[in-house]
Amino acid sequence: MLLSFLVDTSRCRSLHNRLRETSLRKAEVNMSVERSMEVSQLLAKAELLKQGAEARLYRTRFLGKPVIVKERFSKRYRHPALDEKLTHRRTVQELRAILRCRKAGIPAPAVYFVDHSTHCIFLEEIVDSCTVRDHIASTQQQPRGPEQLERLAEKIGQMLAQMHDEDLIHGDLTTSNMLLKHTVDGAESQLLLIDFGLSYISALAEDKGVDLYVLEKAFLSTHPNTEVLFERLLRSYTKASKKSEPVIKKLDEVRLRGRKRSMVG
Amino acid sequence: MHLTQELEVYSDHKVTQLLFKDVKNAAELRQSAVEGKISGALISPTLVLNPFQVLVAANKAVHLQKIGKMKTRSLFSEIIFNLSPTNNISEAFKRFGISDGDSSVLVVLVHNKGNTPPLSDIVSRVNGQQVPVDDLSSLSDTAKIKKFFKITPQEEKIGTLLDAVVCRMAIKDVL
Ligand SMILES: Nc1ncnc2c1ncn2[C@@H]1O[C@H](COP(=O)(O)OP(=O)(O)OP(=O)(O)O)[C@@H](O)[C@H]1O
Ligand SMILES: [Mg+2]
Repeated sequence: MLLSFLVDTSRCRSLHNRLRETSLRKAEVNMSVERSMEVSQLLAKAELLKQGAEARLYRTRFLGKPVIVKERFSKRYRHPALDEKLTHRRTVQELRAILRCRKAGIPAPAVYFVDHSTHCIFLEEIVDSCTVRDHIASTQQQPRGPEQLERLAEKIGQMLAQMHDEDLIHGDLTTSNMLLKHTVDGAESQLLLIDFGLSYISALAEDKGVDLYVLEKAFLSTHPNTEVLFERLLRSYTKASKKSEPVIKKLDEVRLRGRKRSMVG
Repeated sequence: MHLTQELEVYSDHKVTQLLFKDVKNAAELRQSAVEGKISGALISPTLVLNPFQVLVAANKAVHLQKIGKMKTRSLFSEIIFNLSPTNNISEAFKRFGISDGDSSVLVVLVHNKGNTPPLSDIVSRVNGQQVPVDDLSSLSDTAKIKKFFKITPQEEKIGTLLDAVVCRMAIKDVL
């Protein structure tokens, strides 16, 4: 995703500048931070679910419960001290956003344990769930699929409206970062948000508009022929959010900018 | 009656919990713990919903001890501190440690996998009735828990009270 890439690097760069003077020196003195060997040993035996660019996800048990461990690892090309700071920051951002969401009634997995020395978060495993991405892909094929997906699009719109009304910007909205938990007895499945490592607090319509633009780009490129479905999502967002008008206006502006940029190359 | 759980992360460690009600000698027990005659955390169950809450606190305490980052002086006081949603140590002891007038107590022991914990010693020291650890919820006060942990009604709609409580305990250092 081109845009999220741009947004991310620009943010990293300003962060880089802010951090450079203060933290590099501090962290260098601090390099001998103790690392927990035991977590690494547990993960070596656990089932690796996903190896991403920033994190590995494992499935294991913790205090008798099924959990997902998200381990952020270091990027070799970054200066070690800066890398440590950034990785820690991502972990902290993810933790704060999860709690903020849950307090506001937006479903997100519970956190059971955090090891800051290895940048591991132990999350409640959402059992019997799949990503919204996989759900849309498989449902699209089915005869009554499109109608079912309309209801889901509306739910996503409502959830994001609620999140933005809390002034939380997700920072990496994609259909892979939403889970659908299937329930027994045919009750409606629960929608959850995950992957808050790039999240931050902002009341600015611009930030919310960009958040939606990131999702739109990801959505339409991952799921072909879903323009109408995404429109439905946005309409439900507009209806549910108290402050949607300036956000949608910004979204339109960002779209225009995106188009101009792609025209010049 | 008691409940023993392995800490998967620190797999040579186990945590054993014993619960007592109608306790008549809380002051004496507290004194024994201060003097080191009881090697365990003595917890007041009022704000403890479920044994899992205690396991989360104990696992975190062992973790912080291993990496040399405990906020308190002993593993047992660290367990008590970790039960609290705030970083205020004296408040944590007041709320989660036993007080002289308490009539129920949860004893938490941390031991090596191979060792049997001194269960009969603990049982003989407590002047009270041992009950299954799963009875914790009947000795705790849900309304007080919601208030002290600041659980919102919206949060209860999307998940369990236990998850809401445990989440705050796990994250409190970065809030
Ligand atoms: N709590 C959970 N329960 C079940 N599955 C999960 C859970 N958390 C993550 N997953 C699965 O793991 C995948 C990756 O998780 P996540 O999006 O958090 O990591 P990531 O994309 O690698 O993170 P980052 O963008 O920070 O590199 C999800 O798409 C989902 O399939
Ligand atoms: Mg993801």
